[in-house]
Amino acid sequence: MNIKDKMRKRLKLSRPSLRARARPPKHRSVCGSQFSAANLPGVLQLQNCTDCGHVQYPPAELCGACLGGTLIYKETACTGTLLAQSQLHHSLWEYFKRRIKRAPWPIASVQLDVGPVAIVHLTELDLDTGDRVKVFSHSDASRSVVLIAVPAATDITTPELRQAVIVGMQLDKSAERLKGV
Amino acid sequence: MKDYSGVVLTTPISMGYARQSPHGAAWFVGSVLREMISAAGLTKKDINGFSVSSFSLGIDSAVALTQHFGLCVRWLEQANVGGVSGILTLRRAARAVQCGEADIVACIGGDGAAHRSFEHTAAHFSNWSTDAAFPYGAAGPNGPFSLITAHYMERYQAQREDFARICLDQRYNANHFPGALLGHKKLSLSDYLNARPIAGPLHLFDCVMPCAGGEGFLVMSEERARQLKLPAVKILAADECHNAHADDPVQERGGWTQYIEGLYNRAAVGPKDVDFLQTYDDYPVISMLQMEDLGFCGKGEAPEFVGQTDMRFDGSGPGLNKLPHNTSGGQLSCGQAGAAAGFLGVTESLRQLTGQSQQNQVSNARLGLVSGYGMVNYDRGICTAAAMLQGVDR
Repeated sequence: MNIKDKMRKRLKLSRPSLRARARPPKHRSVCGSQFSAANLPGVLQLQNCTDCGHVQYPPAELCGACLGGTLIYKETACTGTLLAQSQLHHSLWEYFKRRIKRAPWPIASVQLDVGPVAIVHLTELDLDTGDRVKVFSHSDASRSVVLIAVPAATDITTPELRQAVIVGMQLDKSAERLKGV
Repeated sequence: MKDYSGVVLTTPISMGYARQSPHGAAWFVGSVLREMISAAGLTKKDINGFSVSSFSLGIDSAVALTQHFGLCVRWLEQANVGGVSGILTLRRAARAVQCGEADIVACIGGDGAAHRSFEHTAAHFSNWSTDAAFPYGAAGPNGPFSLITAHYMERYQAQREDFARICLDQRYNANHFPGALLGHKKLSLSDYLNARPIAGPLHLFDCVMPCAGGEGFLVMSEERARQLKLPAVKILAADECHNAHADDPVQERGGWTQYIEGLYNRAAVGPKDVDFLQTYDDYPVISMLQMEDLGFCGKGEAPEFVGQTDMRFDGSGPGLNKLPHNTSGGQLSCGQAGAAAGFLGVTESLRQLTGQSQQNQVSNARLGLVSGYGMVNYDRGICTAAAMLQGVDR
């Protein structure tokens, strides 16, 4: 086998689509990793500025309101309002490609009552714009934290209840390749 | 704001469009430079200002390219602001020429499209995108824009048929522009409506095709362009505003609202006077936001406006209101060549205003408005820019 064919074969075999298990995107910035670490306990922890009290998301190194440098993660009210939702039929990432083969993947943007807008995974399809939701954090199959929105009536006070939502979405598992190599 | 008198834009180049390419960004930037100096009858020595926009230069920067290309310049800029890079660069370069900091500035945008490179660009677009948008379905820009489109449709009762008006007329324009990657294909309303779904209300023909390509133009003094006998275009007014309306929960307007009135005043023309409009059309809803914010119709009226408006370059459509729009087919039909896409509207405007367009020439095009939008840092595009351009009498 010449070098060209060898490289072509290697490129082919290293495709994400040929791997047995696919996981959600793991990579995060340094601030994103800190967000993941801070959110392992509790329902939802967001950055609070110790100078001006501004609550912010996505995480950043400085306060977006007063540019203060001391931001601490605090347990935050998890309620919010659904702004917009859509179902994804196409993804660039193998994990979602495999999930989308079974059903479109719903995402939404939520205005949290504490201020920021968050893009979230959505559990329910029959929600309308303006509906009240709760948003909680979850460490997914790549061990990075993502946010999940559920209808406001859902009880998510204990880790077990939140885990039940996650299991229902199959977010706790990697996506297996359906056919063998 | 001081005017841009004495400065002109010349020598529009669009080249190398391909769905996939083995070449890197430097190849596209350098090739545009080569075509440009040859078309203008210049040598590399004449270029003493250089501006580069690209997403895929990697660890190279604009200054590395000067060594690659053997350029010695006294004015250098790197503007990585995606969809506004063309207009932003044009403003900076015009001031440099006006103030005597450079004589001739080559403004170039170029990006490659290697196998799976778009996946990489989308995954590493910005820190906020990586942390808080990409993990949710990894849809790239389709994710945030499907939310923006869904919100707009719900709030202003827009239908997919309204978006189709933009896509179909642009495809008609692309059918008459040889450089458009999708220009060989016709697009009908049923093709549009029956296309496969991509994300929420977005279907295949609402989404741009990532591709490779390069775009560029030269900025120099009016006198120099006359000496070189180059057809040229004046900047009547130009402006930009970034991260405006940050408190809107979902984007439904952009920074254009902050300056468009002043821009029309400085140019002493209004939206009714323009012979064509070039918007940044990464998704049709974004073109609609621009039509509204640039004053062609009121907020929320774009669906009705596009229904009554013929946006073909030759005015052959049934609409009574004529406004040639994205006369080369825009990104929806040409493809989105990374940061070069931010130059697309500018180069097309230069071709139109200097009579260099071929089959897609707008007749008697004298005045054109070009608008830019870009950089989905998290949930919306945060850059906006606009420029009013006028052909110089020859």
